[in-house]
Amino acid sequence: MTQPAPRPTMPTRAKRRIPVPGQSPAEDRMLAMIAALASELAVTRERLDSVERLLERANIVDRAAIETFTPDAAQSSDRDAIRRRLIAHIFGPLRSDADAQGDA
Amino acid sequence: MSHPMLPATTHDEAAAQLFVRDFKMFLTESVEPGHRARAERLDPGASSNARVETVYDRLHADEGFRAWASLRRTSQEMLWAGVSESVARQADSLEALAAAAPEHGSLTLDPNFVQPAYLDSGDVHLMPGGYAHDDGALLQGAVMDRGGAVYMLGRNGGLMNDVRGHTIVAHIFAQYPDLDPREILELGCGVGTSLIPVASAFPDAQVHGIDVGAAMLRYALARARHLGATVHLHQGDAENPPFPDASFDLVFSSVLLHETSPAAIANIMAQCYRLLKPGGVVVHLEVPNRYDELDLWGKIRGEIEADYNNEPNWKAAISADYRALLAQAGFSDIAVGYQAATSTPLRGAGGFSDTSMGTFRSWFVASARK
Ligand SMILES: C[S@@+](CC[C@H](N)C(=O)[O-])C[C@H]1O[C@@H](n2cnc3c(N)ncnc32)[C@H](O)[C@@H]1O
Repeated sequence: MTQPAPRPTMPTRAKRRIPVPGQSPAEDRMLAMIAALASELAVTRERLDSVERLLERANIVDRAAIETFTPDAAQSSDRDAIRRRLIAHIFGPLRSDADAQGDA
Repeated sequence: MSHPMLPATTHDEAAAQLFVRDFKMFLTESVEPGHRARAERLDPGASSNARVETVYDRLHADEGFRAWASLRRTSQEMLWAGVSESVARQADSLEALAAAAPEHGSLTLDPNFVQPAYLDSGDVHLMPGGYAHDDGALLQGAVMDRGGAVYMLGRNGGLMNDVRGHTIVAHIFAQYPDLDPREILELGCGVGTSLIPVASAFPDAQVHGIDVGAAMLRYALARARHLGATVHLHQGDAENPPFPDASFDLVFSSVLLHETSPAAIANIMAQCYRLLKPGGVVVHLEVPNRYDELDLWGKIRGEIEADYNNEPNWKAAISADYRALLAQAGFSDIAVGYQAATSTPLRGAGGFSDTSMGTFRSWFVASARK
């Protein structure tokens, strides 16, 4: 079997990012993390809203069942992936900073 | 309206892009007015010979201003991060779709191309990789297309982002009604958002576009093919376009000049003259502001964009005297003013005047005849 050609990775950092005079990199990073967090929350709320509306439309929503739901192994690993992506996204600014230090 | 090459979004990607749109709107509509009012209080007055610089420095002494400026930049970084993640997910399907496009038009790449220093020094609009990014694929074009549509917040023709192109056609109909171009060139065509509407207004013309990025142009060709437009795209520098003298009846640019440099603007004017046949027409469309007509906050905002959104030539481009520049390049019948923004250019509709109707309602245009 032939290996598919590796896909080029997309660039993630823009060239020329100057400091805001008087602002510490820590504050810049902290604000970015909060913005990412807000985005994650907005996305989740929107998804939940879609799910609830669809369930409602199909007449199958049983809110009590949500409280007692237990995921199986595959479902748990899906959830792990969701959670880890969320962490990587929210704390991405920590990583770009570390990468930039590494490049310097 | 959309087109087949435009990257799609999952439920969550769409929600994340809407978050960026609304976050930007919040920063502009709800937070910015406070800083604007503070700038007015910090104004040393018209007698100061460094009025804008002084206020800009003083604003930076405030923690709230700094937080706002940095979150503005962060919102832009989030835009690109979200769009790139979505495009990367669709890499295979976008490549396959491009390969399956009907084969009309062409792409000529220059393996020795070196991008101009002003583009190399910083990624415009903070798009990671910049316009000239080339990884052998076409994804950078998809990022630019989708990101551009989100960035304009739907005010430039939605996902087609084509109001500027239609507005150029409207200007030609208004000012040069006799022009029947056979050969057309756009300098700085990007993914073709403005080139396609111009091409469709003149279906008998041969249409060429030039830009710096191989990945962006590969995407632009696939995009045009799926839209049924035949375009010939070339990798090259608008300051030195690879075409013989007197090759075109119409040469135009759309929001190119404010992303170049003062020297490049003069060079581009001269090249347009060289490339046009006698009687040919040049049209440059730009952002609808003139520096001397901006109020204090408008000027401060320009500094913020230059510093934190990599728009370094913005001030020079909107301060330039286009009438003088065009005359210097040899042009006559020079027209400088504002063309009403439209998505439906019609012959006889006019729409060109001396006064701006405001951002997104009209565009600055400088045009002339050789
Ligand atoms: C803001 S985009 C506009 C794209 C398109 N004209 C439109 O209206 O949507 C500016 C474009 O100009 C291109 N550009 C900047 N300097 C250039 C140069 N010296 N030669 C060719 N293209 C250039 C950039 O690569 C980018 O695609």
